Amino acid sequence: MSAIKEIMSLDGWTQHVSSLPPSALLIVSFYAPWAAPCAQMATVLSTLASEYPVTEPLSTSWVSVNAEDLSDISEAYNVTAVPFLVLIRNGQVLELVSGNSAVKVRNAIESHATQPARSGSATGGQAANGDAATVEKSSTELTPEEAEKQKEDLFKRLSDLVKAAPVMLFMKGTPSEPKCGFSRQLVAILRENAVKYGFFNILADDEVRQGLKEFADWPTFPQLWVDGELVGGLDIVKEELASNADFFSAYSAKASGDNSAAPS
Amino acid sequence: MASSSTPIEDTIRQKITTALQPSTLKIYNDSHLHAHHKAMEDSTSSETHFRVIITSDAFQSKMQPARHRLVYGLLKEEMAREGGIHALQLRTMTPEEEKRRKEQEAPAENAK
Repeated sequence: MSAIKEIMSLDGWTQHVSSLPPSALLIVSFYAPWAAPCAQMATVLSTLASEYPVTEPLSTSWVSVNAEDLSDISEAYNVTAVPFLVLIRNGQVLELVSGNSAVKVRNAIESHATQPARSGSATGGQAANGDAATVEKSSTELTPEEAEKQKEDLFKRLSDLVKAAPVMLFMKGTPSEPKCGFSRQLVAILRENAVKYGFFNILADDEVRQGLKEFADWPTFPQLWVDGELVGGLDIVKEELASNADFFSAYSAKASGDNSAAPS
Repeated sequence: MASSSTPIEDTIRQKITTALQPSTLKIYNDSHLHAHHKAMEDSTSSETHFRVIITSDAFQSKMQPARHRLVYGLLKEEMAREGGIHALQLRTMTPEEEKRRKEQEAPAENAK
């Protein structure tokens, strides 16, 4: 299970790059801490990274770089907007992905990784996205054991994803562009209560969208999870707040005076 | 009875009544509030969004998610099918909770 390493300095970067074997795929995520889409991208990347085993020699290396603090590095790769992903092998830039499309990022990484996360999974989620009611399966024939394993892997990924932040919102769209009225209302409630939260756009990842319905035994979105447990949808959140106005106070930004918290 | 123009609402009422013997059951069809939304573009149904208020002893000692799952379970087929229930908002209370809620709302009324 790979993890994302934060690069702290230009020296740290140089050192890390030179330590990699020539065959390793270096996945560099450029971010800015004040940019809300970067929080989602961090979630997407860390769950993606967890699907890739740490191998000897290293096949994938995942790093994050604060684009403003380490401007020498971000300038070297022409990073003008965040989030921004750069894929490098043996010093050669293979691909750049700008923006926060989880789908594009996943595809780019999977197409360049020589040792895929799971065999036959590269097309998962992209192949048959017409029928939203069925859980996505790989386009290759799976034996019952393989299907079971794929589901296990998906559930493992989901179990990490729901804990990606103390408060996690699985919604339709993004906080700045909600694609459903209930998702929009829930975002507004979280903002009113100055809650710090991570979000995941389930419209951008059909595998998570269908998998989470089964994993959570919950048929609808948006879904709010707190400390890895499902609280419920908009109706439940409104009820909880009605009976306890301090429902979110432990997760709000008010205490720390941090005003970069709630994504707009 | 002649065939109903609200088959889904009828199903909701019948299933919840049978399974939960509720002391209060109110079903509101909010479909018209969402009919113009992009997600509802291709829908021909007038029974897509519901808001249901249920008071039942069946909810005793169950947290909100468990209560909602109970109701979702009853309406699983209607929620999964194409053109069925798209959204279901629930308020689930035990008789004691309903009473407490009415008491909370009553002082505001008396103050007028």
